[in-house]
Amino acid sequence: MPRVNPIDSDYFKDERPDDKFSVIGKTVQRSDALGHVTGRTEFFEDRTFPDLAHVKIHRSAHHHARINSVDVSEALRVPGVLRVITHRDVPSNWYMVLRLIGIEPNDEPVLAEDRVLYKGEPIVAVVADSEAAALEGAARVKVDYTVLPAVLDVEAALAPDAPVIKQAGTNYFVYEGHHARRLRFGDVEQGFAQADRIFEWRYSSAPIEHAPTETTGCVVVPQSSGRLLIHSNTQAAFFTLDNTALILDRPFTDLQVKGGTVGGGFGGKVDVMVEPLACIAATLTNRPVKFVYTREEEMQVSSPRAAERIYIKDGVMNDGRIVARKVMLYVDSGAYSRHSPYGTTKACAHLPGPYTIPNVYADCHCVYTNRTPSSAMRGFGVTIADFALESQMDRIARALEMDPLQFRLKNAYRDGDLKAHRKVAEGTALIEVIQRAAALVGHELPEEYQAMSSRGAGA
Amino acid sequence: MRIVNLKVNGVGKTFIARPETTLLLALREQLGLTGAKRGCAQGACGSCTVLLEGEPVVSCLVPAVTVDGADIATVEGLADGPALSHVQQAFLDGFATQCGFCTPGMIMSAEALLDRNPDPTRDEVNEAISGNVCRCTGYEPIVSAILDAAVRRREGAKL
Amino acid sequence: MLTEVHVPEDVPAAVGLIASGATILGGGTALMPALNDYGSPPTALVSLRRTGLAGITVAGSTVTLGATTTLAQIEHDARLALLNPVVRSIASVPVRTLATVGGNLFVRQPHGDLAVALVALDARATLAGHDEPAELPLRQPALVTAVTFERPEPGIFKYVKAARRRFNSASLVTVAATVVESGGIVTGARVALGGVGDHVLRAHAVEEALIGRPLNEATVHAAAQDGLTELSPADDAYASAWYRKRVFPVHLRRALLGC
Repeated sequence: MPRVNPIDSDYFKDERPDDKFSVIGKTVQRSDALGHVTGRTEFFEDRTFPDLAHVKIHRSAHHHARINSVDVSEALRVPGVLRVITHRDVPSNWYMVLRLIGIEPNDEPVLAEDRVLYKGEPIVAVVADSEAAALEGAARVKVDYTVLPAVLDVEAALAPDAPVIKQAGTNYFVYEGHHARRLRFGDVEQGFAQADRIFEWRYSSAPIEHAPTETTGCVVVPQSSGRLLIHSNTQAAFFTLDNTALILDRPFTDLQVKGGTVGGGFGGKVDVMVEPLACIAATLTNRPVKFVYTREEEMQVSSPRAAERIYIKDGVMNDGRIVARKVMLYVDSGAYSRHSPYGTTKACAHLPGPYTIPNVYADCHCVYTNRTPSSAMRGFGVTIADFALESQMDRIARALEMDPLQFRLKNAYRDGDLKAHRKVAEGTALIEVIQRAAALVGHELPEEYQAMSSRGAGA
Repeated sequence: MRIVNLKVNGVGKTFIARPETTLLLALREQLGLTGAKRGCAQGACGSCTVLLEGEPVVSCLVPAVTVDGADIATVEGLADGPALSHVQQAFLDGFATQCGFCTPGMIMSAEALLDRNPDPTRDEVNEAISGNVCRCTGYEPIVSAILDAAVRRREGAKL
Repeated sequence: MLTEVHVPEDVPAAVGLIASGATILGGGTALMPALNDYGSPPTALVSLRRTGLAGITVAGSTVTLGATTTLAQIEHDARLALLNPVVRSIASVPVRTLATVGGNLFVRQPHGDLAVALVALDARATLAGHDEPAELPLRQPALVTAVTFERPEPGIFKYVKAARRRFNSASLVTVAATVVESGGIVTGARVALGGVGDHVLRAHAVEEALIGRPLNEATVHAAAQDGLTELSPADDAYASAWYRKRVFPVHLRRALLGC
């Protein structure tokens, strides 16, 4: 049986007067486990349909290019190929998944029109009787390109002489008229001036692919009512339904999404990548259609966690109090927005970390490059920022010859503190978590640090 | 197109295979046995692992026509009615599943290991499942469940 | 696109199909991944599964591996303990059940570790339609029916494969060697390398630097420096060419000296 750690009920007793939990602390069998061990759990691809057709994609061979012409004649000659789909077959080709929460502009085509902005961008979809015929047809599409200079680095993309790759006119997402999501609190320059020490370092991360064992895919089945039933492994059923309907230019009620069983997602299945084209193919052929990524597509073109570059400059007093923190943060969104404008806002909302610092300044840039579009992945925005912030904390502690836990406790936010976003912190508990973690690993803390509490000191 | 006969989980099956029909796709699409999964079609993830003549294979790399007449075992054949195999029961009890996509392949690799080696070391279990990718990264409970299943099998054999 | 998969019942039938343009399919572990997911010219395959070429015979010190013998069959044959660490360093259990001896002679680097070992063992390939056995590595496609080698005395054969993970990972550098010593001096050496070029490499410079010298750290260090000139590794997902060259002397030392 799995090990279940006993619940630590020492802290915050007053918030749990009866101390009764019905599930927490107990071992409860997963409701889906029996299906998993018997192979009966039904993933989207575990349904078979007579007359199933298949979609495969011809993708861009270049990071950045103008498309001069597309020749599909050889693809159509492959036995078993039913249709080719180009951007002209997509009723409303330009989209942005986050438009559902009011974010603009629509910056991504379902299928490329006159240009491609990343290697692997979809240009033509081929529908065929068999998967093999669809693959063969897609391989035989011919595209004539004029290759354009590519921008593959976030800071290079923001340089004054960088080629502008986005039709909106800037290589960055515009936040309410600004070049970045900004955070301004106190006077950071004055903070640096009063500080005993200044520490400035650079942090960066590479894109990370979720690599779910089950690749992204769906099966779309035309119903006798005229509706389309979408069996999908999306992690975002309603985002998928609404965006697909907007792309198809059909009422939301025309679509039904059946999902919820996902063979590994980790945020990699929240974009709307396969359903629109599968729906178009199903409509054009009036047949059930499957569109599932190959493993190579999953690794190469499904959106990864964004690469980030983060510069942190801190002003610190000799006693370990941080008095100013300035962060310049760059999220590599790749060629299109997907969920990155939101992820960048999350990164900004996380700054300056769980510490109370009187002077904070941050510019968080959502930058477009000619790399694979990035998007959601487990805590995106926060995860890499935390890597940078906590690395920074360790390095400063080392430079000051301070215990890294004591350094954090000294700066930890407490209930009642005003955060840099002008929200009052509550339920912080950072101090208690550090105290208990230290005790668990036998890391001794002096009396004054053991006596600290997240309650009230800042109020 | 060729007619192919297989004995699957002890039952004779006949189907028509195209040249590109792999053993995996035949099981899934023609015989309705969808326990084995397609995770990569490259032989790299192990989600499609079934037993071919008692030995584990990545069924995505086997053209169906080449194994005409073979004996195949899949995850669907392990349980005896509601009674799970020792490996299945150990996975269930040991919380060795998360998304469930790798589970059938993982279980077939485990069954094959224990058929050959009833008392494996932890290291031997690691080697046996080195071709089965669990991206939810629940390897520790999986390895523990396989070791637990080995005990259950040995004790079951003694009864 | 696959047009046909032939499954002939004997070697002459296979030879006829190959002559008509069909591509040889052994275990499929190298060929099928490409055919599953990518477009291709019209392709007919000829599977060797039923041609009767599987089997291991050991007669005295002579070992013969039928071409379609799987890596798993070698792994589980007690007479071939010599090759056990070699095949267990390759891929994973459900792949080794399919992958064949013959196929391993032709897989692309950085795969093909059994072929590296067989080159070091001075194995000979029997080719269909040829009387003379062929020396390894083979450079041209051919229908191999068997591979034969003389089993060396204990301690003569050495093998090290450096990989990113202990199990199921392709080669960074593979070293296989047979080294014969007499009176503290190396009198015979045959060294083969994987992971350091686009084919299995016979490391002649290393062999020359070993012969006539005592097998010690200084000799092996000098042999590695000589051997570096023959390497032409590639950058791939497993390692950079720079890294492979950088660690080659370390793995040569570990293979030859055991430390």
